[in-house]
Amino acid sequence: MQISPGLIGLAALAVLLIWVATSFNQLVAQRARVRNAWAEIDVQLTRRHDLIPNLVESVRGYMQHERSTLNSVTQARAQAMAVGGNVQQRAVAESALTQAVGKLLAIAENYPQLRAIEDVQQLQEQLVSTENRIAYARQFYNDEVMKYNTVQATFPRNLFAALLGFSPSAMFAVADAERANVQVKL
Amino acid sequence: MSILAGSSSVEPRYLSRERESFFEAQSRNRRATWRLGALCVVAVAVMGIPLALLVTPLVYAVVLIIADIVNLFWTLPQAFWRQAAEVAHLGFVTLGALLDHKPAPPQALVLGAVVLLAPGTILSLLVWLGMSALFRRAGVGGALLALSAREPNPAELKELQLADVVQEMAIAAGLPAPRVMLIDVPGANLAAIGSSLTDARIVVSRRLLDDLSREELEGAVAHSIASIGNGDLRVAFRIMAVFETYGVLLAMLNSPFGPQSRGTLWRILRSRLAGSDAGQEAAAVAAILTRSGDFEADDIDQLFVTTTKKSTLRSIRNFIFFPIFFTNAAIRLSLWFFSSCMLGPSVALLWRTRKYLADACAVQLTRDPDGLARALRKLDNDPGAIPGSGWASYLFLVSPRSTSSRATNPRQAEILARAWLASQQHTEGTVSTDSSAAPANTLGELVVTFRAASTGDAQATARIRALRQALTALDPTLAAQMPDPADFAAIRKGDAAAMARLRAFGRQAASPGMGSAKPPQSSAEDPSGVWSVSLLGFYPSLERRLKRLQRMGAHLNSPAEQSGAWMVAAVIWLICAPFFLLAGALLLVLIAVMTLASLAFLVVWLAFVHKIFGLAAHH
Repeated sequence: MQISPGLIGLAALAVLLIWVATSFNQLVAQRARVRNAWAEIDVQLTRRHDLIPNLVESVRGYMQHERSTLNSVTQARAQAMAVGGNVQQRAVAESALTQAVGKLLAIAENYPQLRAIEDVQQLQEQLVSTENRIAYARQFYNDEVMKYNTVQATFPRNLFAALLGFSPSAMFAVADAERANVQVKL
Repeated sequence: MSILAGSSSVEPRYLSRERESFFEAQSRNRRATWRLGALCVVAVAVMGIPLALLVTPLVYAVVLIIADIVNLFWTLPQAFWRQAAEVAHLGFVTLGALLDHKPAPPQALVLGAVVLLAPGTILSLLVWLGMSALFRRAGVGGALLALSAREPNPAELKELQLADVVQEMAIAAGLPAPRVMLIDVPGANLAAIGSSLTDARIVVSRRLLDDLSREELEGAVAHSIASIGNGDLRVAFRIMAVFETYGVLLAMLNSPFGPQSRGTLWRILRSRLAGSDAGQEAAAVAAILTRSGDFEADDIDQLFVTTTKKSTLRSIRNFIFFPIFFTNAAIRLSLWFFSSCMLGPSVALLWRTRKYLADACAVQLTRDPDGLARALRKLDNDPGAIPGSGWASYLFLVSPRSTSSRATNPRQAEILARAWLASQQHTEGTVSTDSSAAPANTLGELVVTFRAASTGDAQATARIRALRQALTALDPTLAAQMPDPADFAAIRKGDAAAMARLRAFGRQAASPGMGSAKPPQSSAEDPSGVWSVSLLGFYPSLERRLKRLQRMGAHLNSPAEQSGAWMVAAVIWLICAPFFLLAGALLLVLIAVMTLASLAFLVVWLAFVHKIFGLAAHH
């Protein structure tokens, strides 16, 4: 059978099209993972909102003299839940809540007699785990964004990724708001 | 027991330009796993050739006998017999070309090779697929579940931490969180079991929780979750299926001869129909199937051993099926040989690389190489086997057997000896005058007493109880390692968990961790024989893992490299290599001879049977 140049050209075009289609699917899959990772951060933040009231109540009895810290945690939580959909504002409110929780944990560290109480230990563990989960969810989101951006930017795909409607995502950086907050309270 | 504090000596042994990010480490290891995976596939293919050569004649024999039986009732067309004769001719031509160097056209050779190999290969593949499908649900490592695993108790702080850490690491990895189960065994280790991402479970020994801090626990759990996420469970499962294929084929061969293999085949079927208990039953069946790689007596061997009265029916049956003896022996020999020389080392290398990969991924998850490094250090210092760990032994965090020669603990041995003397005084009222409290003697007497206690000797049980009491006073952790006297009563009632614990203690007693004078236990005591017949270990050494973690940024002062020992080992290997090669070549020749002998026997036997059927058909 004679293999004409036209046939070769057609075959090459077919291979190219298949490759573009595969890359498109890869990009779509990766973008879906990025969105999923972003949603996971929300899930963990919501979980924190749900957990804090019970935790605070369970140790209120032991920490009568630290009422102000407990109240600030409750207040920060209320504020974080009240904030609307604006991502920037939410980030600021959530970081304020993180700071309040951090203070509560620090206090438990400073009072050795508190540390021995089982309820306080459980509280500590729950709070530490909650903060860790949020941190790891953000870390996972950043890792996925890195993969997504890398796939878009590497050589063959960067030629047509933008054409197909993909754009690099933004990583979750420590909000400037968080850094600013550190200065305020001392 | 010494537990090294990780941050005491902060002296990174690697300069910054020798550092490697965990991403680079991951890509490097992933490429290596691809290469080694390909090597394993090649090894399996090579192993498959003698198997196919041995199984094909049996397939043909079965087909021929069925054709003969059918021929008795409905005469088969002549074309069928002509075709059969042609196929046989092709086979003989190829064999002749191989053995006698008779020239033959290449096309005939290729066809002959297909004739000789295809049925066996297809049958083996079908069995492999069948085993994969049957056990897919159960996955790997179900034997651990026999040890009465329990859920973590959220009221207890350490167990709550464990549950939380697993969830955190699953979030960091973007995977569904595996279920966690705790087992109470003397050893400290953690393992991933299951069949896939959604079905995975992490089994942790309670001792590990006590030994590790939260950061170290994070590192250890991250390693397991990374291992699950990388698909180690499926790889392990497929490799296991290869060995199970051999087991099933051998069981099918043996089934005319004895109840043991028939029972195994029945259990396979039943385990498929079983419901939620599939994990344990599947693991037990898998263990039986893969033990066939060991030289344990199976039904055919039993024939030559038993001297019970031979019914004529049995003798007739044995005579009818006798060519299978050779095939059976040849398959087992080739399985042992190839799995120890080719498949075993390939799989061991593959698993080591996957362990490195899981370490690198764990660092990515926790962003803290120190935690994992310290955990590995602590676990290595803590000798303790996990009972029933044969099949799952490659999915643990560290090798479930104490491999470190630093594990001899003279202090422990001394305490044990003193407690033993105290118990003797307690039960017998006197201290024997020749009480040389040498640890080796103590251990020997201990083992004897345990055996006596397990058969119900009241005095032995009392002595063990006294020993435990004496130990508790001296060293509670060591006392916890001693078996519970209640277990001895339990095993007589058939409690599997108690039996597993006692067996584990027996193995541990032989390990260097208890101060015995015996050399480090070779891995040949693995209950699932096949894995042990490998010239390499499945786990990378602690030093190598720590070195790689250091390159990723851990701050540990790892022990000085023993470069001298490495050279000595290399020289020994070089000297022994010609002998190994000679032995290997001889074994290969033996396998080839046995293959041909079994083929010859089978052909003669088949001709005989065919003639008988032919005579019967003509009447």
